[in-house]
Amino acid sequence: MTRPGVKWTTFALWVLFSLLTLLPIWWMFLVSVKSRTDLFGRPSFLLDISRITWDNYATVIANPAFQRYMLNSLIVSTANAALVCALGLLAAYAMSRYRMRGKDNIFFWVLTNRMAPPAAFLLPLYLLYTGVFQVGDWSLFDTRIGLILLYCVLNLPFAFWLLQGIIDGIPAELDEAAYVDGASTWQVLRTIIVPLAGPGIAVTGILTWVFAWNEYLFASTLTSVNARTITTGLAEFVTVTGTNWGQMAAVAMLTLLPAALVLAVVQKHIVAGLTFGAVKG
Amino acid sequence: MTTMPGRRGFLPIRTNAFDRVFISVVLFVAVHLLWMRFLEPALPLWVATVLSVALGALIVRKG
Amino acid sequence: MMRSPTTGWLLLAPTIAVLVLTGVLPFLYVLVISFFDWNLFALNPEPRWTAANNFRRLVHDAEFLKSIWLTLLFTFWVVLSQIVLGFALARLMMRDFPFKKLFRAVHTLPLMIAPIAVGATWRLMTVPGLGPIPYYLKDWFGLDYRLSMFPDQAFASVVLMDIWHWTPFVTLTMLAGLSNLPQEPVEQARIDGAQEWQIFRDIILPFMKPVLLTTIFIRIMDALRVVDEVWMLTQGGPGAETRFIGLHIWKIVFPKTDYGYGSAMSLLTLYMTIVICWLLYAAMTARRGNAS
Repeated sequence: MTRPGVKWTTFALWVLFSLLTLLPIWWMFLVSVKSRTDLFGRPSFLLDISRITWDNYATVIANPAFQRYMLNSLIVSTANAALVCALGLLAAYAMSRYRMRGKDNIFFWVLTNRMAPPAAFLLPLYLLYTGVFQVGDWSLFDTRIGLILLYCVLNLPFAFWLLQGIIDGIPAELDEAAYVDGASTWQVLRTIIVPLAGPGIAVTGILTWVFAWNEYLFASTLTSVNARTITTGLAEFVTVTGTNWGQMAAVAMLTLLPAALVLAVVQKHIVAGLTFGAVKG
Repeated sequence: MTTMPGRRGFLPIRTNAFDRVFISVVLFVAVHLLWMRFLEPALPLWVATVLSVALGALIVRKG
Repeated sequence: MMRSPTTGWLLLAPTIAVLVLTGVLPFLYVLVISFFDWNLFALNPEPRWTAANNFRRLVHDAEFLKSIWLTLLFTFWVVLSQIVLGFALARLMMRDFPFKKLFRAVHTLPLMIAPIAVGATWRLMTVPGLGPIPYYLKDWFGLDYRLSMFPDQAFASVVLMDIWHWTPFVTLTMLAGLSNLPQEPVEQARIDGAQEWQIFRDIILPFMKPVLLTTIFIRIMDALRVVDEVWMLTQGGPGAETRFIGLHIWKIVFPKTDYGYGSAMSLLTLYMTIVICWLLYAAMTARRGNAS
């Protein structure tokens, strides 16, 4: 029904807005493929193919510190996503199928964990991690396990809520039938719930993985050397004097790459995810 | 007729017991902070404590 | 029957345990510490009870009060701009045009990027001598753009960066709301000769109210705790002109090892967040209560 004029004006406007969205990222990519001498001068948004250099990426990837950051980020995000999905699935199943007194309050309390400002928890968590949660010489500070556990505060409420909606959508008759056949709770979860909720669990896993990957504040405060993640590595480029912009851009590109890659998969669920289902996407 | 939980008191919204305790605690903290900021040179802090506890009791019972 | 509540609680237990460990325990800890004088670098590094002294210091701390004020100012500007812009973009997205899915995906991209990378991106755009923004502002308008010198520019840049980062979120929620908008009343009003702004005010806005309030709520909560990208872009500077509350705790109070005072500040930040959150929530549910 739309008139062609309106249609193409809208199209043109969206081209404009997309350019505005992509321009900073495009600029960062340009910086990351320029040699140090090409950086300064009149900024141009055009890519000079003959002068592309991948040296920045090569240097960064060959750097052992960066490799460790990358590895830590991969381990922490993956373990956190797995842990959050497992715990969230159990909790969501309980919430969906069992009759328990006070479970609505528990539900609400779990969700409020997500709303808390992280900065307010930095100090107590730092003190707990360095001084209280310790066994002999070993403390949670600067360990991957510490980060994996911590990111549960951010991700578990989210997974819990998302998975509950998914399990609510699976007919309870299916597990009733299995219970009648003598299956245990564990078997019902494994053979009925997990396969049927599979796609939902995958989306939950991917989104929590991205959230954990993107986290910076806690990672920078609760680690020092061994468990530093890629986001803290990126931030370190700023504080070091004589910033190497090309390498910083390369690290930033590598940091945002996974998120950009999964965008297509989770796009439909982002709205519901970020609003806790208050708004359906 | 609506059958929403909680009741109407003098507060502008419908509240249950938890809401009223919560509001009292929030006001307790706010009164103390503002008191320390503006009134403490003139009046000691325990006055604020007495006032806000009284206010809290009023809200919990009548709010 | 297999479904005893005990099994249910057992399934919930790990979740509750983890959240108690990383959510409740830190809260209780900070609550206790905030009433103690505990500074590792003081003459007496042991925690000592000081009653409300930390809070007394806090309400007279000009730097802290300023960071709160800046945070509120920042929140006001970003949320207002994002709501207006996001709503307009959502209306635009409702129209029919080619490559809609592609544009939508591109528009969603900033949401998924790590905030710290967003900060890095914008820093590369604004670094003098390297970034295009200072260069072209100078070249075309003769404007001297230096984040490290001019507070207004730094503040505006941080706001713009946040708009770039989070407007897509508003667009998507508004889009979700708008696509449920029933078309009959709108068309009927058009036939009756209503102006577009009347349709907007009397039909679209009331319909969108729940989505609008939820979006505002979530955006305010997120804007209040912004840290990463601001740190990357301005380091809270120049001076303390973009040092929002999260940055203030993290970069100024935390390294001083004045743990009692820092705890009091963390607690007060949490208190203010909860109060704002609760007020918004009450406003939202009260409106809905009247409607039903």
